[in-house]
Amino acid sequence: MKDAGAWITAARPTYTALIDEKHLVSKLYNMVNVPTGVWINEEGKIVRPNEVAFVDDRFKTFTGLDSEPYLTALKDWVEKGGKSVYAMSEEKLRDRLTVNDQNFILAAAQFGLGEYLYKNGHLTEAIPHFKEAQRLNPKSWNYKRQAYALSDAKRDYGTTFADEVQKAGGSKVYYQPPDLPATDKKP
Amino acid sequence: MVKAKAATAAFALLLVSPLAIHAKQVRANIVYDDVATDVTTATSDPAQLWISTADLTRATRFELKPQGVCRDQLCFPVPKARSSEFVRKDSGTTFFNLLAFAQLVSQPIAHDGTLSTWYFGLRSDQREGLSSLQAPDFTLPDMAGKMHSLSDFPGKKVLLVTWASW
Repeated sequence: MKDAGAWITAARPTYTALIDEKHLVSKLYNMVNVPTGVWINEEGKIVRPNEVAFVDDRFKTFTGLDSEPYLTALKDWVEKGGKSVYAMSEEKLRDRLTVNDQNFILAAAQFGLGEYLYKNGHLTEAIPHFKEAQRLNPKSWNYKRQAYALSDAKRDYGTTFADEVQKAGGSKVYYQPPDLPATDKKP
Repeated sequence: MVKAKAATAAFALLLVSPLAIHAKQVRANIVYDDVATDVTTATSDPAQLWISTADLTRATRFELKPQGVCRDQLCFPVPKARSSEFVRKDSGTTFFNLLAFAQLVSQPIAHDGTLSTWYFGLRSDQREGLSSLQAPDFTLPDMAGKMHSLSDFPGKKVLLVTWASW
């Protein structure tokens, strides 16, 4: 609330904006970065799973990603529902969803413990659990960024977010663009 | 002869250990569904987490019933042949092994020995939704503290976007 509140207040959203102090949504949906978007239909079924979801271009100079294709796809789905080419087939969805990876499941518990210990004044004890979460799920930028933000990353983790982005190939490949099917339809 | 005596002594010790539960009580902190509860455990062995059934309910909201370990509509039967792994009685108190239960329901655990804290992650039933492509439900507060759930939006398309202010 302390950290995210100012942003929400300034944005004055007309949509529902929620505070997730315990990273519950990331845990339930196996999210590994932000911004992550999920499309959920009228029956509560996922029709597009976790993917990078920029809805404006404020980070374009960093990411190289244009928000327009994603917004076009989103509007198409809102209009056409399950008939939209952007709504994924069940087979493709199953292929994309990361479920029941034992290491990722354990990583979430280690991260949760790290968060709990940190919030209760035990940063030193939290660090090994954050490290273990990062080891078990190296795909999670959330685990890295949250841990780095809570301490001196260079001192405690021997790296920084910027270093890690460079290791991953730089900011232009740090985010994998959403896999949107090619379409002839003009926006 | 000496060897035989030592072996007998060790065997006797194993036999009496369930009855000596109270002798080794230590404090532990259980974080279950992200809610922390201080409990007294019946052993300091990190491979065991025996807590009273009263503490089980206090820490997890699960209750030990004849049909299994239950909370609301959810009930996990305890395998009869393995019941001693889950339930023990001592001086009128029933103890339950929360680590054996976690294994039964495929629940990940993270443990901090220094602070005697146990963190329990999502059980298999809580992870099922994603496998069935049903969007897992959650309830979280807005800025004013009002709670909202994903299930508050039936019949509507939802774009769920997460971000952080790092």
